[in-house]
Amino acid sequence: MTDIMGSAPVPASRARRSSLMAQDALSKRRNAAEARFKIYGIVAIVIAMLALVWLLISIFSVGLPSFRQTFLTMPIELPADKLDKSGVRDVAVMSKVTTVGYAAVIQAALEKAIKEKGIDVGTMTPKDIAGVISLEAPAQLRNYVLANPELVGTTIDFEVLANGRIDGFFKGRVTMESAQLDSNVKPEQLVLAEKLTEAGIMAKRFNWGFITAPDASDQRPEAAGLGVAIIGSFYMMIVVLVLSLPIGVAASVYLEEFAPKNRWTDLIEVNIANLAAVPSIVFGILGLAVFINFAGLPQSAPIVGGLVLTLMTLPRIIIPARAALKSVPPSIRDAALGVGASKLQSVFHHVLPLAAPGILTGMIIGLAQALGETAPLLLIGMVAFVRDYPGMPLDGFFNPASALPVQVFSWTTRGDPGFVERASGAIIVLLIFLLIMNAVAIILRRRFERRW
Amino acid sequence: MNDMRIAERDVDSMESKITARKVQVFYGQNHALKDVDVDILDKTVTAFIGPSGCGKSTFLRCLNRMNDTIDGCSVKGSIKLDSEDIYDPKVDPVQLRAKVGMVFQKPNPFPKSIYDNVAYGPKIHGLTRNKAELDEVVETSLRKAALWNEAKDRLQSPGTGLSGGQQQRLCIARAIATSPEVLLMDEPCSALDPIATAQVEELIDELRSQFSVVIVTHSMQQAARVSQRTAFFHLGNLVEYGETGQIFTNPKDPRTESYITGRIG
Repeated sequence: MTDIMGSAPVPASRARRSSLMAQDALSKRRNAAEARFKIYGIVAIVIAMLALVWLLISIFSVGLPSFRQTFLTMPIELPADKLDKSGVRDVAVMSKVTTVGYAAVIQAALEKAIKEKGIDVGTMTPKDIAGVISLEAPAQLRNYVLANPELVGTTIDFEVLANGRIDGFFKGRVTMESAQLDSNVKPEQLVLAEKLTEAGIMAKRFNWGFITAPDASDQRPEAAGLGVAIIGSFYMMIVVLVLSLPIGVAASVYLEEFAPKNRWTDLIEVNIANLAAVPSIVFGILGLAVFINFAGLPQSAPIVGGLVLTLMTLPRIIIPARAALKSVPPSIRDAALGVGASKLQSVFHHVLPLAAPGILTGMIIGLAQALGETAPLLLIGMVAFVRDYPGMPLDGFFNPASALPVQVFSWTTRGDPGFVERASGAIIVLLIFLLIMNAVAIILRRRFERRW
Repeated sequence: MNDMRIAERDVDSMESKITARKVQVFYGQNHALKDVDVDILDKTVTAFIGPSGCGKSTFLRCLNRMNDTIDGCSVKGSIKLDSEDIYDPKVDPVQLRAKVGMVFQKPNPFPKSIYDNVAYGPKIHGLTRNKAELDEVVETSLRKAALWNEAKDRLQSPGTGLSGGQQQRLCIARAIATSPEVLLMDEPCSALDPIATAQVEELIDELRSQFSVVIVTHSMQQAARVSQRTAFFHLGNLVEYGETGQIFTNPKDPRTESYITGRIG
């Protein structure tokens, strides 16, 4: 003790002698630590940015081609004797002709077009020639004809999908060398495809089908689209929004403004925080047990997906909503009570509007998380192969549907390389939706904040 | 001590608005206010002075039951407004607060327009029948609060955009717009500069003609300037209550004398 006291004046005198122009050892150490910390921060941000850029480049380079697709456009003769033997143009009768019959029609049309353009097919068999066309094409034509039965007997200019391998050839995924090793496509077919392109029959264009069409089977990636998944995700988001916004806001307002502070509310608070940390797949099991097995709701339905995602999203909405309510200054509550407002009036007239931007931000971030959630949906059967569009609300909520992230998952598990491109394309669509939601969050927040 | 207070009150012929008897306030285990007996007279400015933590703000908040919002706070004894017990279970504190308005230490206008700030109270209490009446209430309230000339051209601009002194006058306008019978002010000038303080003090003096005003203040000069009656609180006790002039010139309790001469507090 006396030692410290005795040495105390020494640093003081040293400090007096030091110049402001020269840094002493302590300042040097402190400044070095600060500089080091800044470098750590910059390195962390650079790593994060590089990871983001890498992610975006890999997704966009693989996924962007899925928005363009190779099509064949040619005149197709619709022979009445094959497609409608009865001649009464009755759709019920016409639908007895299967896609096999339409495949023959398309094949004949392609052969005719090749002959007209004077393209040399060499030794290719008719089956090989027809192989440049997608397996989906007969179904496309059949649907079109059944929708417009009066066209039978005429010749129409129709656009059909090219085979996925041919499409891959134009996108650089399939080469002459790889085609020799591939049992699904022959090099001659690729040569023919090049000639068809020169003749103007085959061309690449923007692929609306990728956004509007339903999923397709393993053999025809070229026909697979996100239509059902987008509708399914949209329906689920409606369910999540309609349920979790009122429940979440009511729960957080009650807990923050009305509930007594005691052991029970503490317990509830801890458990809400715990719920937010529960792995999402657990909610999937819960949904399977409660909504499907117990309540008997249909599998794969957006209503069940929406309910499960609501359960998952609620704590993630309540926590930021409570934080937003807590950040409203107590003086505002005092002011409202002081002029004789009831507790409810003070909350709804003053506290809630002030907390609204924070609540909305939490809400939209919760929705965005729900939109990208995959695991719980797998358990309630949303990974099923669904080709029929769900109906209009509210019945549509109970029809089978898929969801965007689940579609990504199911495409990545399929063998055909065409689906890899589709999966990345679906991720791009998902990212666009998330960007739109974030933009909406920012706009809403700005609008609410402008009032004060 | 009690005898002295009664003697003082006898001097004053005006009727009392609020009668507090044996008021005890507990914050959990903490006995914050002990046996307070006060008669607050109608159309009079009553000042509560005392060192920090002496219970004067606590007592003020008892008068419109703002203490109800504090967890673990309990009030015993009787406080009567016009001979009605305000702590009776039948009393709705919301109705009470419409009669007993309050202005807080820090200006706390709602983050809304000046007009909406003043119009809020009359709106929720249904005091006006139409827009024209509401406009009139807003104008008279702002006039009474000496803010009309500064605010009449910007009624729709936000109340939070006003200066500190203007904000506090806006809060006063908001409090008097509901036509309260008593106006409680908890250190209304502590966040204001001397010029704004002077304006608010002038205002308090004018308001005395319509309401009974109770003001908590740390400034003894302010208490001396604006009030007719003064109560001195110390450590949760009401030490002395009487006419302001008498308290400041001829205090009866040695603790009051020590405080006003700056020896304690």
